[in-house]
This record gives sequence, C-alpha cells and structure tokens, in this order.
Amino acid sequence: MATPETGVDAEFRRSVADTLTTTLARLLDRPEPVTEDMRLMEELGLSSTLALELLLECEDRLEILIDVERMDQDQMKTVGDLAVFVAGNSRPS
Amino acid sequence: MTALEAVSVYLPPVRTPIESLAGPLGLTGMQVRLFRRFHGLRAVGRDPDTSLSGLLLKAAAGLDALRGQEHRVRYVLYARAMPVVAPYPVNPLHEVCSALGLGHALALTVTQQSCASGLLAIDMAGRLLAADPDAADGPDDQAGPLALVLAGEKAFTHDAQVFADTTFFGEGASACLVSAFGVRDRLLAYASSVRGDFDSATGENDARLQREYRPLLAEVMLRALAEADLTLDDIRIILPHNVNMVTWQRMCTLLKFPHERVLLDNIPDTGHVFCADLFVNYQTACERGLLQPGDRYLAAAVGAGGGATFAAMVFEH
Repeated sequence: MATPETGVDAEFRRSVADTLTTTLARLLDRPEPVTEDMRLMEELGLSSTLALELLLECEDRLEILIDVERMDQDQMKTVGDLAVFVAGNSRPS
Repeated sequence: MTALEAVSVYLPPVRTPIESLAGPLGLTGMQVRLFRRFHGLRAVGRDPDTSLSGLLLKAAAGLDALRGQEHRVRYVLYARAMPVVAPYPVNPLHEVCSALGLGHALALTVTQQSCASGLLAIDMAGRLLAADPDAADGPDDQAGPLALVLAGEKAFTHDAQVFADTTFFGEGASACLVSAFGVRDRLLAYASSVRGDFDSATGENDARLQREYRPLLAEVMLRALAEADLTLDDIRIILPHNVNMVTWQRMCTLLKFPHERVLLDNIPDTGHVFCADLFVNYQTACERGLLQPGDRYLAAAVGAGGGATFAAMVFEH
C-alpha cells in the first residue's frame, strides 16, 4: 500500500529501511544499531564512496536497480530519507 | 580573442577492461563493481608499445592545420596532470617539439592544476599570443603567431592508473592549435577556483572535498557563464571531464541541466584521459554534429591531488 504523502509502497519502504540499517551497521563496523532517524553524514560519517557501496549492497539484497542519477544529497539527511528515495526510485533488476 | 583553430586526438585502438587491471592495482571485487555500476567505467585505453612522446606525436600527426605553419608556432604548452613523467634527462616535450619541427618554439609544461591544467594551458596560450610582439592584428591576419597545446599521458604508476575510488585514467593524447584572434571556437570566458586547502597528502580533507566537489564545480561553471554574459539556457552542450558518470549525473541534478546535453559517451570505454578530456569530447561532439556554428558550449574540469582546482570555460563554435 502506498503512503499518501510519498506515493511509495509502505511495505517495500520498510524492507528498504531494514536493509539500509543492517548494512550500514556492518559497513561502518558499528556495534550499536543504526536507526532511521540518524543523519547519514553528520552522525554516521557516511562518505560518498561508502554511500555507493551501501546502495550496491541494497540492490543486491533486494534485487533492484536504483536510479542514482536522481539522487539529491541535500534532500537526504537521514537513513529514513534515503529509504524513501530508494523505495521510490528503483525497479526490479 | 583566444580561439581553438584545430584539434586532433589519438586514443589507443585497444581498450583494456577494468577487471583485468584490478588485480595488479590491488582493487577489491566490490571496488570494481562500484566502478562499473555507478561510475559507468568499463574499460580504458592502454598502448603498451607507445611511449609518452609517441602518444603526443600520434595526436599531432592528425593536426593537418599545423602542416606548413610550423614557423608560426611560438609556444608549445604541455598540459599534464602528473608532476613527473620521465627520468632526467629524458624530456618527452622537447622530443615532440624536435620531431614536429618546432624546436624554435618556447616549450613549457603546465601541471600545477592537475587535470584542470588543460584549461589553464588554453588560457595561458591565448594570453602569451596576445602579448606577443608579433601578435596578429585580428582574425583576418593569417600570419600571426600560434600556440600548440598538447595533453595526454601514460598510465604508468598506480596513481596514474586509478584515483581513489573515483576514476580510471585512460591513455591517449590531444593536440590543439590556439590563436589569439581566431574566428572559430572562440574562448568567451574562463573561471577557476584554486583550493590549496584540499591538499590530499594527509587524507583529512577527502570527505570535505567529496561534499563540496559538485557545488564548487557548479560555482565556477556559473561564474564562467556570467562572465560571458550567458546562462545555462544559452548552452548547447557541456563537455565534461571524464571522471565518472555518477558525478555528472548528480551535477545535472544540481544545475538542473538535461543530462542528454552533457557529452558522457566517452566515459565508459575511454576513462579519464588526464588533461585531454576536453579535446577528446570536443572531437566527439564535432564528429556527431552536436555543435553548429554559433553554438555556445561549456567545458569543465577538476584537478585534484596536491590541492584542488575547479575550472570552466565557455566557447562559441
């Protein structure tokens, strides 16, 4: 079911968010859990290169292709923002 | 007004897939996948049987406009990304000048702005020619002095083959005749931003450079346009540096410029040809009829290494 404010399937968004948080914790070698409200750059220190690695792993796990050319970093402050973007800008691989 | 009189490019006929370079360069499988999937890099040119001077001579061999005009060439500027490319006393630039019959010209290398040195060399060539005692009287003067701008390098060390999860360098070369008062491909404006604070020696500035890279490049592109009294709406195409696809896709988002009008076609199988990207992409644009007389286009380059330089030029075809 699509959420009215984003037009994104809520279940798929949930699954993207779960994948992002678990993958981020592993990539960042972080013992504490990563949550959706965490800020990607300021709080987690995510670099551009690591962000691409994160997206590639997300593509592998969810069997999708993400339209990275549509990414606007300024509008993606948190893990949750990224989940909404991926859920709304990807297609089955 | 500084103008590009003629351009010639040499790219090796054989391309090497990046997978076959990964092992010797110590790249992980994930790094190679990132290069392919997001950076859009598949292969680069390698020409193991051709020396650096050989690459430059192959480019100059296609410069028909140089034939019979060698006596007019006062300056030869070699735009280079890498500070050192040959052991003393080998001097590839002097070898090339001698082979081309340009031993009389003042030859110098421009390398201080890394991969943005190509744009700097064009600007310097124009200013040297304009200040020359025998400077042409105007576009009708067919006997005025010329400059030859060369670019292109061998990918002969680790750092000259791959740059920090960002790009693969490809071998190739370009040769460009520059005049002070030419009528075609006139240089309308040049803007650059030299940022020594992005010194990469310690790595502590790398994350900040990643964050500020695109806004800083956009700033010089818009500044060059403003100096030419133009806007992005006046630009037919952008000739980018061939760093990678994702950087330019995001640049298009930032600039709100259609990515179909950025010449990205050479990135996948040519890679980043050091300072020669502008000329490689210019030639492709001409071959494909993407530029008509009077069209304005924008060239952009970033040099990163010991500091960073962001540069842009506006031309009229």
